[in-house]
Amino acid sequence: MEDSIGKVVIPGDILQNLDEKKGKIKVTVGPGLIRDGSHIAVTKSGILRHREPSVFWVDCHQKRYVPARGDNVIGIVTAKQGDVFKVDIGSSEPASLSFMAFEAATKRNRPNLNVGDCVNAKLLVANKDCEPELVCIDSYGRSSGLGILPNEGFLLQCSIGLVRQLLRNKFNVLTFLGKAIQYEVAIGMNGRIWLHCHTVRETIAISNAICRSELMSDEEVQIMSKKVVDSLQGFE
Amino acid sequence: MSCLKQSNLRGFACEQSCLTRSDGSATFNQGETTVLAAVYGPVEVKLSKEHVEKAAVDVIYKPKVGIPGCKEKATEQLIKSTCETVLLVALHPRTAVVIVLQEMQNTGSLLSCCINACCQALMDAGINMRCLVCAVTTTVDQEGHIILDPTSKQEEDGKAVLTFAFDSKTNGVIMTTTSGIYSSQEYQECLLSAQHASAKIFEFYRDSILKKLSRVS
Amino acid sequence: MADVFKKVEPAEYYRRHLTHDARPDGRQLLAFRDVVVSVGTIGTADGSALVRLGGGGTTVVCGVKAELASPRPDTPARGYVVPNVELPALCAATLRPGPPTALAQTLSQAMADLIENSGCVDAGALCVSPGRLVWALHVDAVCLAHNGNLADACAAAVVAALRDTTLPAITIDDETGRVRVDSGRERAPVAASAFPVAASFAKFDNDILFADPTAEEEALATATVTVATLEDGSLCLLHKAGGSAMTEKELQQCVDRAQVRGAELRHLVNKVAASKEC
Repeated sequence: MEDSIGKVVIPGDILQNLDEKKGKIKVTVGPGLIRDGSHIAVTKSGILRHREPSVFWVDCHQKRYVPARGDNVIGIVTAKQGDVFKVDIGSSEPASLSFMAFEAATKRNRPNLNVGDCVNAKLLVANKDCEPELVCIDSYGRSSGLGILPNEGFLLQCSIGLVRQLLRNKFNVLTFLGKAIQYEVAIGMNGRIWLHCHTVRETIAISNAICRSELMSDEEVQIMSKKVVDSLQGFE
Repeated sequence: MSCLKQSNLRGFACEQSCLTRSDGSATFNQGETTVLAAVYGPVEVKLSKEHVEKAAVDVIYKPKVGIPGCKEKATEQLIKSTCETVLLVALHPRTAVVIVLQEMQNTGSLLSCCINACCQALMDAGINMRCLVCAVTTTVDQEGHIILDPTSKQEEDGKAVLTFAFDSKTNGVIMTTTSGIYSSQEYQECLLSAQHASAKIFEFYRDSILKKLSRVS
Repeated sequence: MADVFKKVEPAEYYRRHLTHDARPDGRQLLAFRDVVVSVGTIGTADGSALVRLGGGGTTVVCGVKAELASPRPDTPARGYVVPNVELPALCAATLRPGPPTALAQTLSQAMADLIENSGCVDAGALCVSPGRLVWALHVDAVCLAHNGNLADACAAAVVAALRDTTLPAITIDDETGRVRVDSGRERAPVAASAFPVAASFAKFDNDILFADPTAEEEALATATVTVATLEDGSLCLLHKAGGSAMTEKELQQCVDRAQVRGAELRHLVNKVAASKEC
């Protein structure tokens, strides 16, 4: 298993010698891996990743979102049903969001949320057998960045792999561009990125740069970001 | 795009993610035979098809000309149950995995090309799979010789056409369907040579994924 | 007690039986159910047969209707056979009324493949006047009771009905072009010598193989395979759609058993046909 970290694995591969070096240690397997008796089998094609002490998962370029508890996602409100909003988060069924799950919301003081609005929310319940449930507050009842996204932003859809890459890698396209251009961004684990810049030109340039960075190395991203910034500022 | 040439199989080629709107897609060529597969899933399921314990696999096969008939429906069922075997359907209950297959060009071995395209598209969509599947068509000619991956002409001239699908884990037969008359010995010979060829296709699968992902690893 | 056990843990219930080489209905693993075949059951059809597996567990009745039609443009000198399998809602609790289910369509296609591959009907002999008039045989199989293994029952019913089918002699008036049935001459049989027999097998728990599954067994099975054999031991259909993987040895075991089964059923149908003529 040790030597396949960072390598390409395909479904049906068996990962052996899990506890060879670590002795008897609990191994946590993430997406793309499944326990098959005494060993671990791969279920998705991608790159095997590892994080200390013993977390393993497969990084794959998936487009469809499968809800996972605790994920921050960006959803679009599709309906109001009594006490809950139905929110499309790109999964197989719409998630529900209670109107009480907002900061300082009470029975009287309902959040001002309409059909078509975007929300940045956290998945509280994500079980394969029941409907996913969203909240816009943390366990202390504070919004902590979650909530309704202002209407003037731009929502773009990209692969889940790209989102993971952006959140994992400190030196990504967003930080490079952020040194020169001011913008607000919210990233959802469901492959949606909400972007707010001063001008439309900047919005288009940044969203294109994000989409293009998916299959680039760090150096390439840096060069590309520099070019984008240069052309926006009129040097070219 | 990655290609492979084998002496007894026609050249393969495969391109993943060729469609932008689907969750996973692939075109697969075997010689001139080309099939385009698109996968959507796990998505919302029609109430009539919902299973509480597993994902419903739905295969839609579009022939190049004409409207799909009884024969196409039977092909859909065949591909559906083959895919269901290799997918971990229990991980996504109350959802559907929709596979759309479009025949682009048929110069023989269409069914095996469909299944191979399906497998590539499912891999591209990142749907959990138990193992991979590949299919090989063989034909027995009038003299009893076995031809792997036949062209339409060879299929017509031969006395039997046999298609097999194998899994990558045990290399066992997941699917088999035949037409024409053949002896049980010929069947075994076809099976063995197809099984032998399947190893090459699995190798090709791995190589094409390696090529696709080598940039980001 | 056994009933409760069966309801709660159907798979375990079967597993306990199968480890002792027996099935809940008393059969051995590779034993088929008793078959009852009667031919000529529908008086108004040109040929018909009724097949029952296991004392009415699975019942399929099949009628053949011959019709004069113009030939298909690509085969001007050949008649054609149109098989259709119907699964009405009355035959099983799991079926609903409505358009043909996927199962019915798959079976129809399997019957079409079986007839086409085996050559049990000589399509050339169905031609009356090349390019102008041929016989079209509509083979309709209706399932009356469904308790597993429809493929075998349908195949047996369809083939027995085709072997029972006779066509009247036809004369075409050259001047007027009118078609007349020549009632003076004897009716001719349509079936060729080839006699395919299908045998189905199911796999349980990825390793136990058993023949002729009932509906319960089909629901629990991880894979099913259907083999159709001819008299000379050659195969004309081997169909396995998905399910757990099988080795070539297991497939060979199915083929061998299907050969034996084919001989038995052929003997039975021939005996029935002979007794009808007496």
